[in-house]
Amino acid sequence: MNRRKFLTLMGTAGVVSAIATPKAAEAGVHTFPYYDNGYGVLHDLTRCIGCRQCEVGCNKVNNLPAPKVPFSDLTVTHKKRRTTTTEWTVVNRYDLGDKEYVFRKQQCFHCNDPACASACFTKCYIKNPDGSVSYNDKQCVGCRYCMVACPFYIPTFEYEEAFDPIIQKCTFCKSRLEKGQLPGCVEHCTMDALTFGRRKDLINIAHKRIAANPDKYLDYIYGENDCGGTAWMVIMPKPKGMAQCAPGNASEAHDAMKKVGLDTGLGNQPMGELTYGALGTVPMIISFWPLLLGGAYGITKRREAIAKANQEAAVAEERQKTIDAAVACIEKEQGKEAAEQHRAAMTAALEAQDSASQHGGEDK
Amino acid sequence: MSHNIVIPTKDKLFNFGPFLKLTPGNIITYILLAIGLAITVVRFTVGIGAVSNLDDYQPWGMWIGFDLLCGVCLAAGGYFTTVAIYVMGMKHFSSAARPAVLTAFLGYLFVVIALLYDLGHPLRLPYMFFFPGTTSVLFEVGLCVATYLTVLFLEFSVAPAEWLGQKFKCLLTYRHWIEKIGILLTIMGMCLSTLHQSSLGSLYLICPGKLHPLWYSPFLPMFFFVSSMTAGSSMVVFEGMLAHKGMHAYMDEKHLAEAPIVTLSFSKACSLILFSLFIMRFVDMVVQGNFPYLFTSYGCWWLIEMFGFILLPSLLYAKGSRDKNVPLCRFASCIAVCGIVLNRWTVSMIAYNWHFDAADRYFPNLPEVFVSVFVVTMIVTAYRAICYHCPILYEHPNFKEHD
Amino acid sequence: MRNGKALLSKMQTVACTICLFAWCAGPVGAAEQQQADTSTPAATVMFPVSGDKKVAKGSMQPVVFNHALHEKAVTNCGTCHHTGEPQKCSDCHTLTGSDAGKGVTLEQAMHKRTIAPAKKGVTPSSCVSCHEKVISSKQECMGCHNIVTPKYDEAWCNVCHNAKVTPEQLAKGSTGAMSNEENRAIADKAVKAQKPNETPGFFVPTKVTIDGLADEFKPVLFNHRRHVASVVENIKNDKLANAFHYKKEVICSTCHHNSPLSMTPPKCGSCHKAKVDPSNPQVPSLKAAYHLQCMGCHDGMKVARPANTDCSTCHKVAEK
Repeated sequence: MNRRKFLTLMGTAGVVSAIATPKAAEAGVHTFPYYDNGYGVLHDLTRCIGCRQCEVGCNKVNNLPAPKVPFSDLTVTHKKRRTTTTEWTVVNRYDLGDKEYVFRKQQCFHCNDPACASACFTKCYIKNPDGSVSYNDKQCVGCRYCMVACPFYIPTFEYEEAFDPIIQKCTFCKSRLEKGQLPGCVEHCTMDALTFGRRKDLINIAHKRIAANPDKYLDYIYGENDCGGTAWMVIMPKPKGMAQCAPGNASEAHDAMKKVGLDTGLGNQPMGELTYGALGTVPMIISFWPLLLGGAYGITKRREAIAKANQEAAVAEERQKTIDAAVACIEKEQGKEAAEQHRAAMTAALEAQDSASQHGGEDK
Repeated sequence: MSHNIVIPTKDKLFNFGPFLKLTPGNIITYILLAIGLAITVVRFTVGIGAVSNLDDYQPWGMWIGFDLLCGVCLAAGGYFTTVAIYVMGMKHFSSAARPAVLTAFLGYLFVVIALLYDLGHPLRLPYMFFFPGTTSVLFEVGLCVATYLTVLFLEFSVAPAEWLGQKFKCLLTYRHWIEKIGILLTIMGMCLSTLHQSSLGSLYLICPGKLHPLWYSPFLPMFFFVSSMTAGSSMVVFEGMLAHKGMHAYMDEKHLAEAPIVTLSFSKACSLILFSLFIMRFVDMVVQGNFPYLFTSYGCWWLIEMFGFILLPSLLYAKGSRDKNVPLCRFASCIAVCGIVLNRWTVSMIAYNWHFDAADRYFPNLPEVFVSVFVVTMIVTAYRAICYHCPILYEHPNFKEHD
Repeated sequence: MRNGKALLSKMQTVACTICLFAWCAGPVGAAEQQQADTSTPAATVMFPVSGDKKVAKGSMQPVVFNHALHEKAVTNCGTCHHTGEPQKCSDCHTLTGSDAGKGVTLEQAMHKRTIAPAKKGVTPSSCVSCHEKVISSKQECMGCHNIVTPKYDEAWCNVCHNAKVTPEQLAKGSTGAMSNEENRAIADKAVKAQKPNETPGFFVPTKVTIDGLADEFKPVLFNHRRHVASVVENIKNDKLANAFHYKKEVICSTCHHNSPLSMTPPKCGSCHKAKVDPSNPQVPSLKAAYHLQCMGCHDGMKVARPANTDCSTCHKVAEK
């Protein structure tokens, strides 16, 4: 391979990789099937009164251990709590400013295209057609990358367990859904602040509620598009003294949503998609690097070969010159015949020396 | 042989003598190993929670941030050196190849060992081959690290083959074949390194809401890869310095003669790469419109990292390599290595969950740090043990190159 | 025994109804012609003014606007005459919208519910937006209005569009040919013809036992009469409230929402079932329906106690 050929190849590979990378990234987007008819839950913060009955329901139907603080103590909602291995859902109080408080329930959002599922390297997470995202502890390695990936800090890990620590999170009460029952928290909700239904119906309901009370609600459904859409969605009251946002405008709703601990700045793409671009370059690197490095190696080898040949040529030339000089000297002193004899002897001696050194080299 | 060391022979294969001497270094090593073993026992009988401050907000702490991210990154010397020597034909560095490959191999081996502490189910690590989660960056990292570890083992195994070849002749044939496919292994190593070095950055692409905008960037994989090159070259210089302190006696003339050239050349390369890294990250900050963040405390930290740990070593390296000032280059390598470690810590711990209150933030506890120290001690000990036995820092008299 | 109890309850109801009639029968702010303080018109018929006769055809009845009454209710003329000039609304806000009225049509100027605050100067208000502002500023209104949105139906429109003019008068008025005197005469007649509302001396049940869901708790004894009476009492002297609660059934329809106006509306349980139907998830479950109505109203009226989360004030805990 000569240099020009190599550079042409390199250029071609560069162009191919530039074209192919975005395509590869694009092809990777629809990793998880989108189930149009999946269930979801709409959490209406204007209705929630922070009674912790959802926590009771969750605890009861999932046979979780009794809580440290009894469910009747509602002051714990004032603290910043999060989901734990034994509390798959928690209700916290949030201050909207001006002594206006709302409550928000935390649980797994059951994303349409879950970050945890795309992050898991042993395929523990599945998005089910019923909308739930379920976790299989039997093949979990315990790497906790799902916890890093989850934008909502939902999965929890049994750090205290020595031999079989696994992830714990809300299951959407999948086994109950299969029996035609409501999730435990929804069933226990005293205010129907949690509305269970098909996700697409819930979006309509949410829009209707907002339209009927445009001053009461913030015109934003959290989870309609955030992170690629989530099965559980949240609507919240418009904080007094804050301007209404343009319908569904994430950046305008950001400050209000932040008050209830929800980040509208995560974008409308599934979180996994952010890594698919990088993953898409893998085939390019695998095909492009060896070519480049092989080429570089080829050039190096060729350069070495040329250098060696040049050196050998120079040595041979020098040697010939020396012999010629010596022969010329002898010819002057002893005549032509003797000169030719000496030349033949010198050449033979040098050849013998060469072959001897080569032989010795091989011996080593 | 001008230097006076014990080269294991057919009859006396083992040379543990240096470990039995009661030098301060040995004593500290044994103390650290003892503590590490005790923590290991607790970790595997009581659970991760008992020996770490990890929680549900911070699932990846010291063990990932140091042992994995820094370990892999600092072991980048392996691919960097072998590519320079075998692919780019810089034969005059060839004495640097074996130490670099050995460091890389040990680095990766102990990354995997440290990972066992961090995993909830360490024995299920091979599950990734049975249930491959192909959408996961971690899968890519795992696959590449596993393959690369194998490649490194093959590359490194030449040395023990030379050592044990005196007794087991079949190893000589093995060594011969490995030498033959050497260039293939080097190129594979480069590909795999590019993939997983950058993928360690890609790991954090999935959590834009958690990582501070000054560090989160779509180009995170690129930054990780480029900084791994600086880490690789800096580690060759840095480790060369350490090895000269402790293992001077085991170096042959060739190694000693080449060492300053290696240091200076790698310094020159590293200076350029560090500078381009500086430009890349600066442009990225401007393009992402992160200027306002510079005036916060995180911005201050970012500036310290950028100017103190990227630009400064770059300039020091440049000056050192131009003036042929080896000590200055070594000093720069210390700063550069610290910079890499700080950068990985920032991404994995300091700038992670940056919007949390200080009280909710993660800080590693003592056992966690000791596990990391334990791992480093094991690497150093293994390095020493291998250098005492195998021709790493010297050329084996039986296998000298012809020229 | 069962019959006896029923009889007793009926008797009780009758007795209470009599009381309630007597108690609520007082005069409720009858519409009257009031004299304005200034030289402004007292009452006027507001025609949909347009040069085109055809526009008026098929139009609904014009509004008799009791200017004097409204003048007293606002702080200054600028509340409605937001330009600062005492001109007619239709000068700028024409039927199809004009540049002078910034494209706001007459219909919007009267009915728009949400008006973006002006960056400078007076934020204009429409009839409807001003009324809604009044409602939301009054604690006694915000109970019911927190849980229901009025049905914007024909009856609701007719509360204001009540002039009852002949088609000839309508045509004359809408072309601007009607003299001020004639207009005033029609308006005066209409205002005088307004009768006080039927006073809500309801036939309402006294106490209702809510036991559809009792398991953890004992049934709730809901004092229905007291709740209705307190609502009626609260809005008794409010002219705006009396105008819009034009029928006693309107008050019932606060809680007994979504069904036609009736004195015997369906019970909550006839629509709200014990469990949500997933195919119709917008209908809350019975339990939630009770809680949403009770707590929604209490929250709106800022009834401090019982706290929403204090179950045992309303529910007695069942003994197990």
